Amino acid sequence: MNEQQPHGLCARGDDAAAYVLGALDDPDAFRGHLATCEACRADLAQLRQTADLLAQAVPRTNAPDTMRERILAVVRSEAELLRAAGESSDRPHRPRGRFFGARGSAIAVAVAAAAAALAIALAVRTTAPERISHGAVSPALTGAQISLRQSGSHAELTVSNFPQAPYGKVYEVWLKRASGAPQPTDALFGVTTRGRGAIAVPGGLKGVREVLITSEPAGGSPRPTSAPVARVVLAA
Amino acid sequence: MRTIRRLASGSNQRLGRLADEELMELVTAGDAEAFEVVLTRHADAAFSLAYRMCGKRTLAEDITQEAFLAIWRGGGRYDRARGSVRAWTLGIVHNRAADALRHAAVRERRRAPDEDAADELVSRDRTDTQAIDNVAGERVRSALGELPGEQRRVIELAYYGGFTQTEIAEMLGDPLGTVKGRMRLGLLKLRSQLRDWESVGA
Repeated sequence: MNEQQPHGLCARGDDAAAYVLGALDDPDAFRGHLATCEACRADLAQLRQTADLLAQAVPRTNAPDTMRERILAVVRSEAELLRAAGESSDRPHRPRGRFFGARGSAIAVAVAAAAAALAIALAVRTTAPERISHGAVSPALTGAQISLRQSGSHAELTVSNFPQAPYGKVYEVWLKRASGAPQPTDALFGVTTRGRGAIAVPGGLKGVREVLITSEPAGGSPRPTSAPVARVVLAA
Repeated sequence: MRTIRRLASGSNQRLGRLADEELMELVTAGDAEAFEVVLTRHADAAFSLAYRMCGKRTLAEDITQEAFLAIWRGGGRYDRARGSVRAWTLGIVHNRAADALRHAAVRERRRAPDEDAADELVSRDRTDTQAIDNVAGERVRSALGELPGEQRRVIELAYYGGFTQTEIAEMLGDPLGTVKGRMRLGLLKLRSQLRDWESVGA
């Protein structure tokens, strides 16, 4: 192929260049086209690397430490939630002393708050025949609360001060039993502009140890694509 | 703060010695400390790109933060075949910054669709940026600077400005086909220029 000319092998000869620059008006259509056009795939492969280099050709500006700390605070708290949810029991657990010793106070406070929230927010209040379990939420969701009301075989989750799910996302309810990964449910929900939401948990809670909430693409997901934002631990 | 960061990072030498690709496997498994190493390695480049594109520090911070949290939450989507972790990370930042610019454009930018505005957008003065500290980046910038003006302009408007090809054609008063052709020629020229440098080990 003569590189200096549009590849000319199909009607979309110049689309690959516009695509790697992010300039196509309808990139999805081009992605569809790629599936059937070898010439455009080859063109894309040779142009993409060059376009990627443009990202590194900008004047260097130091990332603010405050931003870095905000990111790490969220990540730490979500890692805590994941670990607490038992999905990480087989992961290596490194000592955390370095973290508390060296890191700025903001993150230490955030993580201490996360740990405290996990430690104390799991109190279960029994009011037979109705039982209300209060859960823990990610510290990233400031002020958010979650509780689960069980009455006979019926169970309902209630959230308050919850943020809207990110654009295009929906909250999904998962059930975790004594063994195995959390199982998806059909319970998908959003919250009102005042941050409130309620949804019935389908299928009864027999044998369920934890109810987890994650944020998933619209329509739900068969496997979690993000860390839980909240969970309720049920008394055995 | 910078000193503390170096000490903190240095204290976990095992992670610090791992390649990005190996760290990403740990990140996928929920390892927050592996993520911290990835963040440390790429945060400056990511923030620099976001800032270059949107020109506002607070917006650049938001974009960078959202990009890294997406990486943390969806680390499993990293694909070695697609390129380095650095390139992948910057691709995510680029997409988010371009989206942000397009949302903002609906409100502001389309008011002044003329060439002066275009020039202003692609060459904003960055008084608080530091000198380029990476050789590869400087090389690409210099290669970009050697492109014919009309090719460089369409590439910058598209990639850094977040404009679509149709918007660029309107802005410059050129036919769409011409704009697309210039993008392609400019990228190919850039590519061969950079390859020549590589081959002479410059």
